[in-house]
Amino acid sequence: MSTIRRFRAMDLLQFNNVNLDRYTETYDSQFYLSYMSNWPDLFTVAESPAHKLMGYSMGKVEGTGELWHGHVTALTVAPECRRLGLARGLMRGLEDASEKIHDCYFVDLFVRPSNTVAIQMYEHLGYILYRRVIDYYQGDGVMPTEYAHDMRKALPRDKHKKSIVPVKHAVNVEDTFF
Amino acid sequence: MEGRQLRPIYDALELPDTKYALNECDKLLRKHPNHYGAQALKTFILARSGRPNEALLLGQSVLSTPSAMASAHVQQGLSLAFRALGCPREEIMVYTAALAFSPNDESLHTKVFMAAARNSMFKEQHHAAVQLSKLSKQQKYVWWLVVSLLLQAKHSKDDVAAPVQLKLAERLVEKAVTDGQLTSTEELRVYLDVLDIQDKHEQMTEVMAANGQLAAMISNDPDLVTQRISLLIKIGAYDKAISAAIAALESRDNWADYKLYIGAVVALVGQAADVEAKHSLAADISSNFEKWAGVRGKARGAKLAQVALATRMHEAGHGDIAGSPEVLIWSYLAEFQQKAICYSDIMQFIVARREPSVLEYHRTQLEQRLAAARDSAANSDDAAQAWVNLEKIRYLLQALMGETDPKAWAADIEPLLKFGLGSSQARKKQPSCSDMALIASQRIIQAAFFAYSAANQREQLHSALFKALCVLESGIQLNDSSFLLKLYAIRVYLYLSCYERAQTIYDTLSIKHVQQDTLGHLIIGHGMALGCFASDMEFCYNGVTFYDRFRSKMPRDIEAVYQQGTYSNVQDFLEFQSNIVHSVQRECTHRYALRGEGFEYGNAKETLARWEEADVSSIEHTEQTLSALHDNRDVLVMGLLTPKDMAQWDLELLTRSTPMPGHDWIQAFSLIPQVMHYLVCADNESLQEKLSELTLVDNTSGTLSRQDVLLVRGIIDVGSLYIQASDLQNGIDDQLGRLLSVIRTNVPSNELEPSLFSLSSDSIRNLSAATELFTYMLALKHALSAQRLPAANAVGIALSQLRKEALKSVNALRGWVDKNTRALVEEQWLAENDGDIFADVTRFVVGSQKQTTSMVAKACTTSWLRSVKNLLSQWEKCS
Repeated sequence: MSTIRRFRAMDLLQFNNVNLDRYTETYDSQFYLSYMSNWPDLFTVAESPAHKLMGYSMGKVEGTGELWHGHVTALTVAPECRRLGLARGLMRGLEDASEKIHDCYFVDLFVRPSNTVAIQMYEHLGYILYRRVIDYYQGDGVMPTEYAHDMRKALPRDKHKKSIVPVKHAVNVEDTFF
Repeated sequence: MEGRQLRPIYDALELPDTKYALNECDKLLRKHPNHYGAQALKTFILARSGRPNEALLLGQSVLSTPSAMASAHVQQGLSLAFRALGCPREEIMVYTAALAFSPNDESLHTKVFMAAARNSMFKEQHHAAVQLSKLSKQQKYVWWLVVSLLLQAKHSKDDVAAPVQLKLAERLVEKAVTDGQLTSTEELRVYLDVLDIQDKHEQMTEVMAANGQLAAMISNDPDLVTQRISLLIKIGAYDKAISAAIAALESRDNWADYKLYIGAVVALVGQAADVEAKHSLAADISSNFEKWAGVRGKARGAKLAQVALATRMHEAGHGDIAGSPEVLIWSYLAEFQQKAICYSDIMQFIVARREPSVLEYHRTQLEQRLAAARDSAANSDDAAQAWVNLEKIRYLLQALMGETDPKAWAADIEPLLKFGLGSSQARKKQPSCSDMALIASQRIIQAAFFAYSAANQREQLHSALFKALCVLESGIQLNDSSFLLKLYAIRVYLYLSCYERAQTIYDTLSIKHVQQDTLGHLIIGHGMALGCFASDMEFCYNGVTFYDRFRSKMPRDIEAVYQQGTYSNVQDFLEFQSNIVHSVQRECTHRYALRGEGFEYGNAKETLARWEEADVSSIEHTEQTLSALHDNRDVLVMGLLTPKDMAQWDLELLTRSTPMPGHDWIQAFSLIPQVMHYLVCADNESLQEKLSELTLVDNTSGTLSRQDVLLVRGIIDVGSLYIQASDLQNGIDDQLGRLLSVIRTNVPSNELEPSLFSLSSDSIRNLSAATELFTYMLALKHALSAQRLPAANAVGIALSQLRKEALKSVNALRGWVDKNTRALVEEQWLAENDGDIFADVTRFVVGSQKQTTSMVAKACTTSWLRSVKNLLSQWEKCS
């Protein structure tokens, strides 16, 4: 239980308890602001009864034709707010918006293979490993360089589930641009 | 023709080779002195090269030639220059002048609008929006106009104009609704805002109750659903608010809706005619909460709502009508104590009622559960987490009951240590173990501050803090993803004057971008206080880069909001921009960077040039500019177990090695460079003025550290000495003697044997301040020499003698630190003394955490040695 609301720029000043987690990347502020400007309904935050930020999901829609899809750019939950089903709730919100507001074919996301807890959760939510992306994550001295799992979940618009037929070979980062 | 002439300048700017571009400008201007395109580009280049005064002068001269504005090159160059200079009015004047040549140019009007929007110039923004909506039928311009009117009214102090502006905005929106031009939730939000500011809440609820497209928009937007309930409460339609809240909560689990539901019911209970009606209302809401508590995924919210309801009823004077808050708190804990968030959820309700009888009830409940929780912690992760939550409550209750006995705080730490650091669960990196290690270290710190707060007991305080550090580091070794352990470790290392290890840990946290504003305070400035200038400067420059990039990029984000039509972001973005641009940490970072530059070695000429060229006008502060600063520094991230209003139990406050820089600090360190600038420029009048201001800060300041005060007073003496020296009739002996004595006092004496305590408390900090003061005195000496003042000789001789003495002393200190500190840590900080309240902790860290304890001792020693070596090298360079 939390208050789910749109992410605000002022939240960037108090999201440290979420973003100090080692798996959570802190981007340039302009990156967050561009998501707020472009896709405000895909950027939501969960706030606790004590008014602490618990986690957030940030997404966008992109692609053309049958590749029109929702993309999960970031999904993160503060360490003390885990095991509450919050990430599932945030994911569901993003999937709902991708389906009902933006009429997408599928939702996709990238995740570090070492983040096994997250991968398990995505699998549980119906995501499959669509393809692997070579050296997607660059080492920063704290986290190592790693390839990414590109995971996908088809939405009702993709009746024949064409978007989730796995690609067997690993691809380069530039192959993932839409 | 003009374009061809300017091409080489554009090419050089693209490279980017500013120097070459400037040369090309000058070349062209020599041939064609009235080439306005070249003048505009030169203005831009000067603005970008840190020569704002020249740029402004040239820019204004071009601007005063209306015919020049016909050229697109002039428009572009000049507008960019004024934007870089932070002169929005002049930027707008460029476009306005250009509009004289093409009054119907939509893009020029858009530029005026955006320039005004980026800079919160709402009147100009409104004007531009009017022009745009006249020029074009595009609906977006109508919304730009509405938003401009709304912003103008919100920020206006004109009681007559604001209602007119709002009325106009409302009419424009109503027309849009009638024409079917309100098509997004963003536009709906603007409409609601226009009504809200006029207190037209009933009308808002009508808008939100509309059918069709609007209704669909609202139901898909969680914020609007909640806003509707809130509005119904505002207009006193409590029954409707309750129905709306119930409908919302049936389909989702949103805390804001729970709170509104409770608020509406409490209000109705207050209005109810008789006890029966009150009970009936309370029974209805309780029954709903109970119903939802049985639904999967909603139990936690519904149970916590019961606690919140009971607490609110108590606060409103309705007693236990919705149950006893205390009983419900423990019922909630029984169900959810295995969740890490449980403590954070429930803490506010425990804190809400601090009567002794209530706290005693909690204590009894806790005691009944604590031992069992401890015994079963090894059974599962859930059981361990339950124990952690109960330990947190134990901590909170002790604080709320005003416990100041260190023994009570240090009691039973050993089981926490054993579980947090020595159990098989700890080796599996179970998060509850990191939490337990953190609680253990928090208890040690808390107990230590109660036990050894007297001045003559500080030595023991450091010994206890060292043990807390061993616990924190052991926790980090086991699970290095726990950022809380790292934050506390950084704090304690700095408290013990160990910068190097604190910096290493800080680096592992990957703090960057906006976090430099919120978390930079953890490290920035501490290096300078502990002799590590170079690494601190790196942090400062990263910070300055962040602020500069932010300042140049944020305007584009504000433009994007209008272009994308996501108007609900406008206010938020403007507030965010203001918070960062006028941030306390930004000011601190810039001042630290300036301080650090003062340390950079240079010969006399370089040193004087540095101070002479320093742009001190941009760092002047008044009471007004200081009060406009926003403090974004995040101190709540440290996961405190007690409320912020309990200073004696606030570990964030207690573990600060020096006071956090505030307004007086910013003022003082803005004035110091100004003093040095005017001194080097021989501007005695301005110097005198700045010295008076600095004296004022010194007299009124309560939050400067001892070393900062030393420096401020030293600079006042440096300035006074210069003024005395410039008047050839006056002697300088008094000021010179005082300054030398201050430095001598703060450089460790050769005759006195240093101690571990003095090293970990004040020695390095004092030496660092003395070194800094010496570098300012050196600049003074160079200024006196350059101005051929006779006092230069006396100052030079005195400084030379002082440097010799200092080199000897610092060298001796370095030898002592290298040779003795490691053994002294073992002897003094890890010894078991009779009656020591931390005997158990000592045994634990020396016994089962021997390796980490040894690592911590080494980290401390190495850090001190690094600081002293840096200071020694600074003295060596300052010849």
